[in-house]
Amino acid sequence: MINLRNVRKFYGALEVIKGVDITVEDGEFAVFVGPSGCGKSTLLRMIAGLEGIDEGDLILNGKRINDVPPDKRGIAMVFQSYALYPHMSVAENIGFSLSLKKVPEAEIRRQVEAVAEILQLTDYLDRRPAALSGGQRQRVAIGRAIIKKPALILFDEPLSNLDSALRVQMRAELQRLHRELKATVVYVTHDQVEAMTMADRIVVLNKGFVAQEGAPMSLYHQPDNEFVATFIGSPKMNVIPVTATRASAGTLRLASPIGLSLDLADASGAVPQGEAKLGIRPEHLKIAPEGQGNFTAEVVIVERLGVETYMTVGSQEQPIVVRAEGDIAVRPGDRVSLTADPVACHLFDSAGRVIRPVAA
Amino acid sequence: MARNSHEKRAERQWLLILLPSLVLLLAFVIYPAIYSIYLSFTNEALTGAAALRPRFVGFRNYIRLFNDAKFWNALFVTFVFVIGSAVIGQFVLGLVSALALRRPIRFRRVFSSIILLPNAAPEVVAGFMWISMLAGGDNATLSRIVSFFGITPADWLQVFPLSMIIVVNTWRGIATAMILLTAGLSTIPAEIYEAARMDGATPSQMFRRITLPLMMPTILLYMLISAVSTIAVFGLVYALTRGGPGGATEVVSIYIYNQSFTAFQLGYGAAVAVVALVISLILGVAYVRAMKVEV
Amino acid sequence: MTVVSPGETANKGRSDLIAYATLSLISIFCAVPFFWVLLASFDGNAQLFLHWPQQWTFANYVRVFTKEDGAKWLFNSLFVVGGATLLVMVLAGLGGYALSRTRAWWKLPFLYAILLIRVLPPTALVVPLYKFLLTLNNAEAAVLRPIFGSYARDIMRWTGFIDGYLGLILVLATMQLPLALWIMKTFFDGLPRDYEEAALMDGATLIQRIRRVLIPLALPGLAAAGLFAFMSAWGDFLLPLIFLSSPELQTLPLGLFRAFLRINEIDYGLLTALAFIYLLPAVVAFGFARRFLVQTFSGGVKG
Repeated sequence: MINLRNVRKFYGALEVIKGVDITVEDGEFAVFVGPSGCGKSTLLRMIAGLEGIDEGDLILNGKRINDVPPDKRGIAMVFQSYALYPHMSVAENIGFSLSLKKVPEAEIRRQVEAVAEILQLTDYLDRRPAALSGGQRQRVAIGRAIIKKPALILFDEPLSNLDSALRVQMRAELQRLHRELKATVVYVTHDQVEAMTMADRIVVLNKGFVAQEGAPMSLYHQPDNEFVATFIGSPKMNVIPVTATRASAGTLRLASPIGLSLDLADASGAVPQGEAKLGIRPEHLKIAPEGQGNFTAEVVIVERLGVETYMTVGSQEQPIVVRAEGDIAVRPGDRVSLTADPVACHLFDSAGRVIRPVAA
Repeated sequence: MARNSHEKRAERQWLLILLPSLVLLLAFVIYPAIYSIYLSFTNEALTGAAALRPRFVGFRNYIRLFNDAKFWNALFVTFVFVIGSAVIGQFVLGLVSALALRRPIRFRRVFSSIILLPNAAPEVVAGFMWISMLAGGDNATLSRIVSFFGITPADWLQVFPLSMIIVVNTWRGIATAMILLTAGLSTIPAEIYEAARMDGATPSQMFRRITLPLMMPTILLYMLISAVSTIAVFGLVYALTRGGPGGATEVVSIYIYNQSFTAFQLGYGAAVAVVALVISLILGVAYVRAMKVEV
Repeated sequence: MTVVSPGETANKGRSDLIAYATLSLISIFCAVPFFWVLLASFDGNAQLFLHWPQQWTFANYVRVFTKEDGAKWLFNSLFVVGGATLLVMVLAGLGGYALSRTRAWWKLPFLYAILLIRVLPPTALVVPLYKFLLTLNNAEAAVLRPIFGSYARDIMRWTGFIDGYLGLILVLATMQLPLALWIMKTFFDGLPRDYEEAALMDGATLIQRIRRVLIPLALPGLAAAGLFAFMSAWGDFLLPLIFLSSPELQTLPLGLFRAFLRINEIDYGLLTALAFIYLLPAVVAFGFARRFLVQTFSGGVKG
């Protein structure tokens, strides 16, 4: 189990990691995700020992490892470019760490062959990295990592160098390996799709701090703030500025300049009135019969994908994306009425924090 | 291959543009080289009986060459000169400089500028600067440095002439080695060293098992380039020692010069020149193959 | 920076110290020979060996130009080397472009030939070159003398092949051509063809394309090629030695060399002043060429 407790890092006067607390349990596949510059790679390198920790604690299986050199932490890393030694064969690459420790040749060979077996690299042991495909190279990088029998494996955006078809294949491959090896993994990516599909636990990072952490679906359905709400999920959640007023006891009325009017149940009465933001995902907006529904808007763009259709409605300043099943008879220029599923509405205050109205 | 008339016309244009360069190179380099070969088979000279009526003498110059102790001396001196200054001196100091400059120390630009300075000095000036360092008995700068450490100074250029020109040529060429080796070092991605760090490699292991093997192509290229340019050195050695004393520093280029312009034996000098050309070309072919020319 | 244990931190500090020490030693080794030229040139009583001047003076520099033919040597060097450099830049600029864009059968042989030419030692070529130029010279004299009579001699100073500016400029330029062509070819290789193709679609002829599109884009490469050609030709001692004999055409390296060989009292102040004058343009050019150094030595200049 790995713990980061109130970890901070400074580059000169600039604080790049601002008090981060994260826990990853044994055997978990944890994904650190966020936009570029959020600090996810820095955090990964701090765990690896390639960057220093200025404040806070890094604890691995109960032991504080802030000052332990990278090779003695029991942590292995798969680099973004794989960083395979170009002049060594696959076998030599995988066995490098053992040969540095002067392990006998026969033993190295035995362990390398065992690892190659797991990764299906047995036929490639004598090849050089230049003669391998991207996916094979990644497996060699993984082999180099797992031969050290690490307590934790780190992945630094390993799929970003691959083309999209290969990426999908490798995602499945990595998940299979994770299950087989029962390893603890911390995986960094900027792609929220990778995060959603692969993670047991997602840590969303923004500008050096943790925006939210949890299981993929809980981040999807219960985002704690606007950032996570709009970061997770593709296409992005629609965010509409609204004014909240108390319509009657237990009911909150939201009104928006675009003509939206929506009532939410709020038994607690704790939601402050005034400016707020309504978040609703495209799949939770439905086309309603004429005149009914929470608002009407003009269709601007229609994207037909066969299995689903995405419409962009509204104006340029406030575009709203709506998802519909299958193919629908809508054309640009049509006016449609739309309802928002009240259960799936998210309310954010002006600072982006979620407000949770309580249903009766 | 050019297909249509438009492309053919374009190709003709390229050829036309290159024509002046081609003419110059043919006239002033290729033709003399070939003429050299022809000359080496004659007994041309500027004095003596042959001056008036040079004639074809076949391989006589070459036979004389292989029996000439001074020729073998020139080859030997050149060989030692190349090994000492290019292969060892410049390479070691250049590599050390290149490695040292990668560390996060201050004044990097100052250091590298100073190290590059000797290469900027024209040959003749470089030669004279070192005469001041080496000649002049006890007052010579090297003598004074050396006596500071309690060693008796000597008349350096007289007693250790070959070693001295090796030192001077090393001094002159550290820059080339440093630049080439730095370029070679920078082709190794930093991530590889990080991966090695995570694998537990010490700095010495990283150098021996990663840096050195990956640098081999660059090192080979450097050796070829520096060998070739060291063979061609003339002015530097000539200014220092003129090839003496007693032929101790008579490198091949000086030997050719002496034979052709002092002894006026043009045919014979040409034969030596041809030998030098052949050796250089062999190295050159190796260099071309190592360069992997892209079209 | 990588996390290191305390023991390793000490190692890192020590490694940096070793780096400082070695670099300092090597730098001192490189710099010391220059001190003499610098100090003695301002010394009223300069000696062969290094010593701190008792009297500082500019007199040596003045003497270079008044008592000796320093002005003439400087002019000759600048004229000859400058001319050769310009010639090289033009030929290599155009030629490098042609080499880069052509797809003809002779491209690869030409490139190999250039590389092989670069490895030939000049001393091996000098003698036949001399004979060849002598022939050309005599032919030229035979043509000019009937027309210009006694003025032919003066004209030959400029247009002659032996002991004439033209010959030396051409030979110097030729010696620098291979490297310059290589630099420009690699440079143009790195330049996307988009610009020329756009100009082609706009209807520009080859000459227009060269003048208005290529030349502005080619400036960094030309600068590199020009600087290297200049530095190499400036330092060339052998060729002027062989091909020049009359005093009016002597260039700086020859003047310097001969000044050092005086039988009677050698004027070291004068000598070092002269050496410094000779040294300066080379060092300045080197300073400019610094940023091109790495690229050139590893194969070519990127645009």
